[in-house]
Amino acid sequence: MVKKAIWKSCLFLVIIGTILAAFSPLFTYKIDHRGKLLQGLYKSDDTYDVVLMGSSHMNGGIDPNVLWHEYGISSFNYATGGQPIDVTYYLLKEVLKKHKNPLVVVDVYYLGMTDPYGVSGFVSNALDNVHFSLNKVQAIHNCVPFDERLFYYFPMLKYHFRWSSLTQKDFTYDSASVYYAKGFGAGTSHYGKQDISYANTQKKDAIPPKTLSYLNKIIGLSKKENFPLLLINLPCDYTDSNKEDGWVNDCEAMFNTVADVAEKNGVAFLDLCDRMDEIGLDFSQDMNNAGHLNIWGAVKTSDYLGKYLKENYSLSDHRSESAYAQWNEDYKKSQAASVAGG
Amino acid sequence: MSFTSIQFLIFFPAVTILYFVIPQKARWAWLLAASYYFFMSWNPYYAILLAVSTVVTWTSGLLIGREDLRKRPNTVRRKKIWVALSVFVNIGILVVFKYLDFFCGLYAEILHIFGISAQAVQFDLLLPVGISFYTFQALSYTVDVYRGDIKPEKNLGKYALFVSFFPQLVAGPIEKSKDLLPQFDEVHTFDYDRARKGLLLMLWGYFQKTAVADRLATLVNTVYNSPQKYSGLEVAVATVFFAFQIYCDFAGYSNIAIGAAQVMGFRLTKNFDKPYFSKSIKEFWRRWHITLGAWFRDYLYIPLGGNRCSKWRHCLNLMIVFAVCGLWHGAAMTFVIWGLLHGVYQVIGLLTRPAKQRAEQKLGIRENSFPVRLYRAAATFVLVDFAWIFFRANSLWDATVLIGNLFRFNPAALWNGSLFSLGLAAPDFWAALLGIAAVTAADLLSRRRDLRQSLLNRGPVCRWAVYIAGTMVILIFGIYGPLQSPSQFIYFQF
Repeated sequence: MVKKAIWKSCLFLVIIGTILAAFSPLFTYKIDHRGKLLQGLYKSDDTYDVVLMGSSHMNGGIDPNVLWHEYGISSFNYATGGQPIDVTYYLLKEVLKKHKNPLVVVDVYYLGMTDPYGVSGFVSNALDNVHFSLNKVQAIHNCVPFDERLFYYFPMLKYHFRWSSLTQKDFTYDSASVYYAKGFGAGTSHYGKQDISYANTQKKDAIPPKTLSYLNKIIGLSKKENFPLLLINLPCDYTDSNKEDGWVNDCEAMFNTVADVAEKNGVAFLDLCDRMDEIGLDFSQDMNNAGHLNIWGAVKTSDYLGKYLKENYSLSDHRSESAYAQWNEDYKKSQAASVAGG
Repeated sequence: MSFTSIQFLIFFPAVTILYFVIPQKARWAWLLAASYYFFMSWNPYYAILLAVSTVVTWTSGLLIGREDLRKRPNTVRRKKIWVALSVFVNIGILVVFKYLDFFCGLYAEILHIFGISAQAVQFDLLLPVGISFYTFQALSYTVDVYRGDIKPEKNLGKYALFVSFFPQLVAGPIEKSKDLLPQFDEVHTFDYDRARKGLLLMLWGYFQKTAVADRLATLVNTVYNSPQKYSGLEVAVATVFFAFQIYCDFAGYSNIAIGAAQVMGFRLTKNFDKPYFSKSIKEFWRRWHITLGAWFRDYLYIPLGGNRCSKWRHCLNLMIVFAVCGLWHGAAMTFVIWGLLHGVYQVIGLLTRPAKQRAEQKLGIRENSFPVRLYRAAATFVLVDFAWIFFRANSLWDATVLIGNLFRFNPAALWNGSLFSLGLAAPDFWAALLGIAAVTAADLLSRRRDLRQSLLNRGPVCRWAVYIAGTMVILIFGIYGPLQSPSQFIYFQF
């Protein structure tokens, strides 16, 4: 009797779980983050020499199409808005399943987060688009509070209320339509103010324990999987971040500690906040807001980074290769989209 | 830990499986530990109050029992003292935690009427969930022992389990000791059919709560939180929606509680029996919150004299019982008015009954004819729903505004789309109406047959189709999850 009940209960749960898993893609929001992750992680057959990881700073800061057009570097931007560093670690592991030994560029802005977990919506934008695997289970277990985990295993439970607002796009969504941007997406506003937070300080502040542990995990992964790692901090006015709850109080001082950790581990760290003059950035005109570059700032910064990568790493120029013929078209399309947006 | 939380969906199967695995001797202790854990998950300090009520009523039972054994000359007087002490302590705790601010405010207002200026003292004590439920259940034990309906329970642990049994701890059904206490000595083996029935009832409860009540709540909250903004049809729709919201919310909780207990082998008392099909207010109170109605009947109405007294005393008894019933629901004048309104309905029904019967006889109206039954059910619903305005309104002033606005006729709301701007867009509004229709249809069908048994008699394909479809309906149409705001069960606050 008990065995029968247990067997039937398990069967019932498996059926419900299968239905939820099958319908979760339908209910998940069809935003660009979904399109780019599905393409970059699973659907595209392109090989990337450089993978760009991190938060919105990276998402809107480095344009793979510029790296391609100016230097022939094949790259993809996997960054998503508000992505905590622990999510970045598991997303990187997912990327490495398909792309072996690329140069990994990690945006370290989210090392400043002191909260144990990121904002649910931001974490969802990344993890909901990762296929089910042991890596996803570990990501959910470590990046999501206990009482929300079920909603990440079965995103339909989170988005079920969309039953009344599903559109044709939800049924026929084609992630390939956003691939041309290679994961990049920046705003077209002008911040209009100067950076008031920058200070050439020698002060050092601790990296919060959880984010430090994930920084060490990323460094450990680079040694274990034998890929070159570049830590990067993109231009930002820290004034609001320093005041924010759940964030370190002195970002500049924390990044000095990041530099020490990188040096100690033999990892490169490029703090672009210290190099805005070299890049030629006009903070008021090239930023979308206090924390994010706009498309004009992103072109300058991407160009600077491409040059840095070419000088410091052995990266092939793929522009004449037939396998990348489509990339020139994608560049044109991205320029057209930028012009339209701007 | 709410029944609709993920924690409960892990807690309940874990507690149930272990309940059947561990030896019979230890089962009550396991349930007691699980029940206190369940209760303490809201606030660990609540457990102190629960334990005090438990120890006081248990001790009173033992002392009353001892008086019976000794048979001394003034036994009855001594027994009454123990009952009075138990009532004093338990009602005292209830008053301090639930009514102190209300009574202080009332006192200040009365002084103000007489021209004396006084500032009401506010204590703002945190109201422990379910305090009114477990206090009434514990008090009934003291009175039952006094009346000789049950022998005193010697095992404090088992008695503590009676007061704290987790399925019905925070919102009932309020069980009588003679019904529930002996069940903790029964040997429960796992019964597959019983478990299926229990789980089906829980599934229905979850549907009522998450898919119907919480969806209706969105529109109700919009209108009732800004009463001056809405009129006529909007207020009427919100008030009808509230009638079904509170029914589905509370009956949903009761069904989950009864179903969960049934899976483990316990029989809890039915708490709702198609209340909106009642043909009189008197009948409504036999069908709505049945265990609370029974409590007031046995421990207040009958001791006051019930109906075995003069007509005027009978009317007074009814008004007292319903005033207290209103106050039991909440420390606010809105609840008292709601209770008194039900008292007035009953008194008017009582006083006009002879005239009504004479008129029916003269006009040749057959009491059992369908049109008469339909008219009576509709009239009863209108009266009950009107009273719900006071129950749901945030203040007496809001209630009067809503009633005033109810009669500002605005039929254009039917076609100008304003009904879809009250928090529920058109698809959700229709889903809400479908939910009401489903609950009403289930009530209607269950008058003639046991729906759960009918389903279980069907073949496996039909059964499994219903299990899976029912679960998916809850998962898709339910209000839950991090991106929606599910409501707390309404009766938790009482």
